[in-house]
Amino acid sequence: MLTEITLGQYYPGESVVHHLDPRTKILGVLFYMVMVFLANSPLSYGLLIAFLIAATALAKLPPGLLLKSIKPLWIIILLTLVLHFFTDPGEVLWHWKVFTITKEGIIMGIKMSLRLVLLLLVSSLMTFTTSPIVLTDGIESLLRPFKRVGVPAHELAMMMTIALRFIPTLLEETDRIMKAQMSRGADFSSGNIVQRAKNLLPILIPLFISSFRRADELALAMEARCYHGGEGRTRMHELVYQKRDGAAAFILVLLFAVLVFLRWGMPA
Amino acid sequence: MSIEVDHISYTYMAHTSLENKALEDVSFRVDKGEFVALIGHTGSGKSTLAEHLNGLLHPDEGCVRVDGVDLKGKDRAAKEARGKVGMVFQYPEHQLFAETIYEDIAFGPRNQGKSPEEVDAAVRSAMAFVDLDYDVFASRSPFQLSGGQMRRVAIAGVVAMEPDYLIMDEPSAGLDPVSRDNIFSQLMKIFHKRQMGVILITHSMEEAAQYADRLLVMSGGKLHLDGPARDIFTHDRETLEKLSMDVPESVKLADELRQQGLSLKGTPLTEAELIRAIERAKGWKAC
Amino acid sequence: MEPIIEARHLSHTYVDGQNQEMTALKDINLSIMPGEFIAIIGTNGSGKSTLARHFNALLTPTEGKCLVGGLDTSVEANLWPVRQTVGMVFQNPDNQIVAAIVEEDVAFGLENIGVPGPEIRPRVEAALETVGMTAYAKHAPHRLSGGQKQRIAIAGVLALEPKCIVFDEPTAMLDPKGRKDIVETVLKLNKEKQITIIYITHKMEEAILADRIIAMNQGHIEMEGTPKEVFTQVDRIRKLGLECPLAAEVANALQKGGHKLPPILTHEELCQALCPSK
Repeated sequence: MLTEITLGQYYPGESVVHHLDPRTKILGVLFYMVMVFLANSPLSYGLLIAFLIAATALAKLPPGLLLKSIKPLWIIILLTLVLHFFTDPGEVLWHWKVFTITKEGIIMGIKMSLRLVLLLLVSSLMTFTTSPIVLTDGIESLLRPFKRVGVPAHELAMMMTIALRFIPTLLEETDRIMKAQMSRGADFSSGNIVQRAKNLLPILIPLFISSFRRADELALAMEARCYHGGEGRTRMHELVYQKRDGAAAFILVLLFAVLVFLRWGMPA
Repeated sequence: MSIEVDHISYTYMAHTSLENKALEDVSFRVDKGEFVALIGHTGSGKSTLAEHLNGLLHPDEGCVRVDGVDLKGKDRAAKEARGKVGMVFQYPEHQLFAETIYEDIAFGPRNQGKSPEEVDAAVRSAMAFVDLDYDVFASRSPFQLSGGQMRRVAIAGVVAMEPDYLIMDEPSAGLDPVSRDNIFSQLMKIFHKRQMGVILITHSMEEAAQYADRLLVMSGGKLHLDGPARDIFTHDRETLEKLSMDVPESVKLADELRQQGLSLKGTPLTEAELIRAIERAKGWKAC
Repeated sequence: MEPIIEARHLSHTYVDGQNQEMTALKDINLSIMPGEFIAIIGTNGSGKSTLARHFNALLTPTEGKCLVGGLDTSVEANLWPVRQTVGMVFQNPDNQIVAAIVEEDVAFGLENIGVPGPEIRPRVEAALETVGMTAYAKHAPHRLSGGQKQRIAIAGVLALEPKCIVFDEPTAMLDPKGRKDIVETVLKLNKEKQITIIYITHKMEEAILADRIIAMNQGHIEMEGTPKEVFTQVDRIRKLGLECPLAAEVANALQKGGHKLPPILTHEELCQALCPSK
């Protein structure tokens, strides 16, 4: 059933990582991503991996859970690995017909796919420990200073909030409409692509109409509850940085300093 | 000629933390020409049961047969059997999609592979049943109609498939009293003319008592009562109360009158029956 | 006492899809006093929802006036005070809940009017308490039943502490249990919190609970009075496409059979009339 899809991949918990300010986590993830590209030695990659393992342990996430998040992208990771293996020039280790594997290729392949894996894991760590709603609050708060240059921070956040609220409702609705049309003999699984796309119309049109109706009614209900845009609006949960956010920032900056030292500070 | 439900059970999301036993060993039979009301609270399993009756869901255990054919099969016979059961979902007007009323009603019959002449005849007859004038409405957009009219178009879309059995999930939900009475009088007309087997899913005991010959009472995924409406509202009051289900208002009022000393006879299922019973009890009219 | 809502010669016309001018309301005169429980009944298309939408300035009269707490709803500057005075609960519980967490949704209105953050929480908690949904504060709305969602919607309106709440067919999409919960909540708001209630419905069993009933037909007020005054006129109500309580209908039929009976609305009254010995 469509309705059984869970939105996002939030894994509820009460750990210190869960309770970090969403802004800390968003900025932290961006900062970590920069560091991933900064790292150039096995030691620095080791440190980045160690940080990730420590954070996962602190978040009390089941170890397998995080690894699962690699699954949707494993083909790309594998492709990165293989392409570098066979195409990079350098010291030849193995050769057969047109296939050549070089030492540089292996190193580069491992490095690039490791980077991808790290990027994926760190952003998953954030989405596992932050509910989409809190994440929205964080994004809104971070974007607010850019309002003056035309970034519609409040509107974006409102759209995300409403989307989060209505996706499950619309999935349920799709399920209902599908069943109704199937009862009228609709067939969604045979014919060529054009035919199949055409067969979807009896689902898509009612779904669109119902979404418009919902949007209309929601707008009315929001207006009735005094909604008039972001101007003068307050929030029940104002985001406030805590000591733990300071601690997290300190650890990240420390890690950064070490990586910078490993890259440029070490005598060659 | 009947729908036979033979010891079926169904569990949603088996083997997960959200496991939910929706149906447990349900058996009954509805013959062609019978009008049955399926009643039960939200979550009693009645909607899940309904989806088994035209093969949208298949039971984990047991089987559903229409005119002797198991719906679970993948062969032509099973497909045909599923097609004999029409299903009107709740708020059916939400599934309208075509540009004209004609096209929308023709969707089902076309999917059945009927010839254009047959489709045309089916659409005309279905529109007549729901009191929509063909010349006025056929080429109009369904989206310009009132709520009650849209529902009638949607019902016509199922009726046009000429099913032998018709399942309706709360066809009167959200309608005002006039539109509700219209829908039911049209439904009774179709029922009598085509001699279908009708299963009406409803929360309203008044509707169940007024229209159905027989009641099926579901609770917690099990079928608790199956019998003539009058018998159930007369003899199974305790069971209904235990399942926190009501009896029709006319039955309640008759009870109160009896308690006040009026020697009222029988179980009046409708307003008209109650009025007659009072007149008889008071000796106001010769029987 | 000043009326909380007043309509003076209120009319509303609009242009429909085919460019035709339609009259939704014509010459409505009405005053509603603080603390009253009013039911507006009528079939679909009778204008009852259109009228209700004038009470919190979602619509404004095209002719005449609508006053809320003495403020003219047509005046732009009165918009927010009017909407804070009169809250509105709609038919479809799904389409009025904004946030993906119950308490966030209840806070929505308060955030809109700029209540300082720390003051929001106690008001949200109080509103959830009143509708009996405290245990669900952290839940996702789409997992709740229709009746529960509708109570969340009521809490969201209640948090704004309105003097009056308009309910636009709040039970039309609910099952009997949900319907009962909503009706109980509405009665509680009226009796315990002295909130003025305007309750739109075509269900007579709900309308009968009001102090005063207004029956609408084709954009004008057709009948007005106590439930007894209105629902004992069975034939007129039927003509409007509505129904009366069973006892009233039975009494009406018996009367037509030539038997004198006093005006009857409830089961008890019918019992008394038919069994005077007890």
